[in-house]
Amino acid sequence: MHIDFLVSGFEKSRDKTALICNDRKYTFGNLIDNIYFFKKELSAKQNIPSGSTVLLEGDFTFNTISLFLALTENNCIIVPLNSSSKSDRTELANISESEYVISVNGSDEAEFKKTGIKSSHEFINKIRDRKNPGLILFSSGTSGKPKAAVHDFSGLLKKFRTKREALITLNFLLFDHWGGLNTLFHTLSNSGTTVATADRSPDNICRLIEEYKIELLPSSPTFLNLLLISEAYKRYDLKSLKIISYGTESMSPVTLRKLNSEFPFVKFRQTYGLIETGVLRTKSKDDNSLWLKLGGEGFDVRVRDSILQIKSESNILGYMNYPSPFTEDGYFITGDEVETDGEYYRILGRKSEQINIGGEKVYPAEIENVIRELDNVADAIVYGEKNPVTGNIICADVRLIKDENASDFRVRLKKFCMTKLRAFKIPSRVKILEEIKFSERFKKTSNKS
Amino acid sequence: MITSEKINETIFNALDEINQLLPDENKIEKKEDTVLYGAYSRLDSLGLVNLIVTVEQRVQDELGRSIDLTDEKALSRKNSPFLTVKTLSDYIASLLNNE
Repeated sequence: MHIDFLVSGFEKSRDKTALICNDRKYTFGNLIDNIYFFKKELSAKQNIPSGSTVLLEGDFTFNTISLFLALTENNCIIVPLNSSSKSDRTELANISESEYVISVNGSDEAEFKKTGIKSSHEFINKIRDRKNPGLILFSSGTSGKPKAAVHDFSGLLKKFRTKREALITLNFLLFDHWGGLNTLFHTLSNSGTTVATADRSPDNICRLIEEYKIELLPSSPTFLNLLLISEAYKRYDLKSLKIISYGTESMSPVTLRKLNSEFPFVKFRQTYGLIETGVLRTKSKDDNSLWLKLGGEGFDVRVRDSILQIKSESNILGYMNYPSPFTEDGYFITGDEVETDGEYYRILGRKSEQINIGGEKVYPAEIENVIRELDNVADAIVYGEKNPVTGNIICADVRLIKDENASDFRVRLKKFCMTKLRAFKIPSRVKILEEIKFSERFKKTSNKS
Repeated sequence: MITSEKINETIFNALDEINQLLPDENKIEKKEDTVLYGAYSRLDSLGLVNLIVTVEQRVQDELGRSIDLTDEKALSRKNSPFLTVKTLSDYIASLLNNE
C-alpha cells in the first residue's frame, strides 16, 4: 500500500524504459512484474514476515531495486548496504538487529539468509505498530562504531507524491546513502529513466552519458575532480547533460570554476542532505557560487553557534546505538559549520574530528584501534589532511617499538588495514615518528602542520 | 638539475610499493607510456590518491625534496599531469627544476 502511488505511475508508462542497469534495459511493466514476483517470493517461499528487519546488500540493479520496493510494500525495515561494505557486514547486521540478509551478487542473483537475530528495538517496534516500512542507514560514530539511524520510511516517501520533472538520470550515488536512494525514488516517481552502473569510473560514466543521452548527473566533488584529472570528458560527447548536482562534501572554488569553463552548457547545482534529515531543496546564488538557499516544504533551518540545525518531517526517530541527536525543541544538530549572508548559507564543513573522504565519513578512533593491533606498533594517531582530489585523506602517525624499513612498514600497515577496514578508511599517508607528541593535558595531538 | 631518468626511477619505485597492495589484474606496469589516471585507468579515486602520496613520499626519501603534487596549480592546468607516467614525470621535473 505504501508504494501504490508509485505503481499506479508505473502502470501508465508500462512500455517506457524505467531502468538501464549495467547496459540492460527494463520497462516499467517489467519492473511492476518483478516487484510482485518478489513480494510473493518473500512471503510464500522465503517466509520473511511483514515487519521483519532485512539487510539488503547490492547495488542499483533490476533485482535489488525490485526487492527494495517489494520489502517496502511488505512493511519491512530495510537496511541497504553497498556490496563494497562486505568487511563490515556482520557488524552492521548486528547493530541494526537484521533478522534476514538478502545478498544480490554481480550477476543480479539474490540469496536469502536468516541470521537468527531477533529485532526488538523500541524504534523498530514503533514503526511496526504504525504498520509502516522502515529504513536504517549508517553514519559514522565518534567511538568508531557506526551509528544506525532509523527512519519511518513512509515519512521519507511522502515528498515523492508531488510530481516534478524527471530527466534521464544517472544513479551515480551509492545504494546505502540516502542521496542515491533519493535520486532513484525521484526519477521512478516521475516516470523518468534511471541509468545505473557498477563501474563508476570517469570513462564509463562519460560513455553512459553519451550512449543514453543522460541529462542529470548527481555526483560528488571528488568524482568531478576525477573527471577533470582523467580528461574523460574530452573523449565523449556529453552535450545531452543539462544538470550536474554535487553534495556530500565541500567543493573547492577552483574545481567549480574549471567545471563551469569546461561545461558551459551545464547547470551546476549544490545539494545538501543528511542521513538523519533527508535531502533539502536548495538554490545556488549562481553557477559559480558556493552560497545557497536551504529548506523547502517540511524543513525548518536555523543556525546556533555557527552550526546548522534542521527540523524536518522526515527526521529520523533516533539512533539505535547512540544518544538522541536532537535539541529539546526537535532540531537535528548537523555538526556542519556554516556562514550566513541574508537568506544564503555557505557550508564550511564539520566542526569535529570526523574525516570526510570523498563523501564517506569516519572518526579517527576506528582506524587507530586497528593500527594498534599491528605487530611492532607502540602507538598511532590518525587525522585527516586536506587533499584537493578527495577533500581529505587519512594520515597515520605511528610510533614503532623497534626500527623497521619505512616502505616495508607502510605496505605492511596498509595490507593489515585492508583485512579489517573498508578501502576509504585505509591511511594514504603513513609517517613513522620517533616519538608521539603529547599536549600539556596529556591528550595526544596530531603532528600535522 | 635532477634528470628525468632519476625521476622515472623514483616513480617506478613508488609503483613497486603500490603494486604490492593491488590485485594482479590491476598492477601498474613500469613503463613511460603507462596510463595512470587517463583513458580506462584501473585506479579508482583512492588508488589515485595513494599513488600521488606514495610518489611524494618517495621523492622526499630518494631525492630529498618536498613536493606537493595536488595543489591548485596542478589541478587547474589545461592538461592533467596524472594521465601517464611520462606526463607525471615531466610535471615533477618542472616542479623540481623550478621551470
